[in-house]
Amino acid sequence: MFSKFYEWYEKRHDYARDWLSKNDGEVVGCFCSYAPEELIYAAGCLPMRVLGSHEPQDVTEPHIFGMFCPFCRDVLAQGLKGRYDYMKGIMIAQSCIHLRQSFTSWRNHVPVDYSFYLYMPNKVQTEHARSYYAGELVKFRDSLQKWRGREITDDALRETAELYNENRRLMHEVYDLRKQPNPPISGREAMVMVASSFFVDKKDHNAELKRILPELKSRTPDRECGARLMIVGSENDDTEFIKMVESVGATVVVDDHCTGSRYFWNSTQFNGDIMQDIANRYIDRPPCPTKDWERRDRFPHVLKLAQEFNVDGVITIQQKFCDPHEGDMVPLKEYLNSNDFPTLFLEFDVTVPLGPMRIRVEAFLEIVGEEELF
Amino acid sequence: MAEEKKEFWRWKEYNWHDETKDWKSAETITAGVDVGSVSSQAVIMLDGELYAYSNMRTGSDSPDSSRKAMDWALEGTGLTLEGIHFIVGTGYGRVNVPFANRAITEIACHARGGNMMYGNTVRTILDMGGQDCKAILCDERGKVSNFLMNDKCAAGTGRGMEVFADLLAVPIEDVGELSLDVEEEPPPVSSTCVVFAKSEATSLLRDGWSKKRVLAAYCLAMASRVVGLLERIGVQKDFAITGGIAKNTGVVTRLERELGLKALQSKYDTQIAGALGAALFAKALVEKKRKQAV
Repeated sequence: MFSKFYEWYEKRHDYARDWLSKNDGEVVGCFCSYAPEELIYAAGCLPMRVLGSHEPQDVTEPHIFGMFCPFCRDVLAQGLKGRYDYMKGIMIAQSCIHLRQSFTSWRNHVPVDYSFYLYMPNKVQTEHARSYYAGELVKFRDSLQKWRGREITDDALRETAELYNENRRLMHEVYDLRKQPNPPISGREAMVMVASSFFVDKKDHNAELKRILPELKSRTPDRECGARLMIVGSENDDTEFIKMVESVGATVVVDDHCTGSRYFWNSTQFNGDIMQDIANRYIDRPPCPTKDWERRDRFPHVLKLAQEFNVDGVITIQQKFCDPHEGDMVPLKEYLNSNDFPTLFLEFDVTVPLGPMRIRVEAFLEIVGEEELF
Repeated sequence: MAEEKKEFWRWKEYNWHDETKDWKSAETITAGVDVGSVSSQAVIMLDGELYAYSNMRTGSDSPDSSRKAMDWALEGTGLTLEGIHFIVGTGYGRVNVPFANRAITEIACHARGGNMMYGNTVRTILDMGGQDCKAILCDERGKVSNFLMNDKCAAGTGRGMEVFADLLAVPIEDVGELSLDVEEEPPPVSSTCVVFAKSEATSLLRDGWSKKRVLAAYCLAMASRVVGLLERIGVQKDFAITGGIAKNTGVVTRLERELGLKALQSKYDTQIAGALGAALFAKALVEKKRKQAV
């Protein structure tokens, strides 16, 4: 049922090349899920988030210090290896320092026609962030217009925001099914569904979501649910890891990752000024830890998800050296534990050694359940 | 003439069974097989009491190691594999025990085994194994409530100690005692990497350090590293150590000193904790199965 999403996820470059052959636009690589894709799409381009490949690599050593996170190095490796040779533009919505390094190194060492550093504010908790960000978006729009030689109208932006909202609403519908006692969708399927939405035209993604939803609602799961788990933390599109977790007596029923729910959780509210509306959507998003200071708005959001999806335990995941999430890990663990959700902390690398991870996950499942042993 | 090559790391393998017990009169016979990264143990229990066990080196083939350990534990008892009602496999090779009825992690098994070995007051168990180290918190039933494992390197594990025994040509069983025979405690060697620690030790020997002093520095490094793990999880009393390193007084003494806490002692062999816990789980599972069948 999810084969199209898997195909898009695994053959993202084939999709992008095919899109280029059929459209009079360019593919724009987005670093970080805070990228306001609506502007890129309304400019007639295909926004495509750059993710890693989960393969060991040795090309980033001259560019990024080894103590930067494996994700940012994996991302840069894709550019240095020429995997995105069709991609003419790149942009970053100001993110953590690690990913900024990937962006600037890419700009310096991988040929592109267009690049833009968007000053997405880290201090989203101040009211000034709204007007500031809307102003920065105007600069981004101007820059895109100049590059593409075409106007990005308010109407086009409104239409795009509606298309994106529809995508968010449809993915919410799928996520809602995960609240069922035995969800008809595995965590791995959900992960690939969201991750593939980074790569393809939202029109295609929406069409596929609409196609599978009725089928999904009547789908009888062919597996036991087991322990209901939540995964929370750094960027995570490690399908092999989640496959392993779901092979040892558990189902991942919800997440708080920028590659998961955080990407689509809130929608654009239309209040008249479309640039401000789009800016507000990103300011109000479930925050990444880089932007969740000094109030921690993220914690109650994570707790609410854990409660709504009735999880038995939470796996907190940190990409090695991921400073923003590292800072959150201890208080988040304490917060979840004090609300009666057991947690397991795991550290990720470009490739996750499944054996050592498996014993930790299995032992965690034995803590969460297995009363029959006593 | 070249000096005979000795394997100083090679610890003694053994088996044992309780000749005062008769398995024929037991209602429930269960077994646990712990295929670890360095050593494998098989434990056989009669109605929840220890009857027989073996402890040997793990080979390159996990199913084969589990079979050998089991056969050796059965040796001389007249009992056969078929006579055992339920078998639980544990350890890193837990899914490769072909004759096991179920696999359970060594984390759960060490907590359960430790509960029997040290009594139900034990709340923190430190399993110092062949290639990893686990700090485990458990309740009065021996059920795990939290755990932490070391990452990345064998420093602070049995394999690291074997490397040092070989480097210094000291039989591994003597390492602990010798390391305590120093006038003054030296600073520890690197605790993050066995290879770094080994090269550091080589240069210390070159600087004129005695073997005992180098061993003291390594045992201290190992103890400090493990204390870090324990402090991260938060040690609760009572505290006990399982696994092979529990037999090394050089590490244990330093660990207790750094921690300011004495580890409980047990009449059982600390290396069988995982297999013992597995056999106890096997008993619980077979009894539940019988109840359900009624």
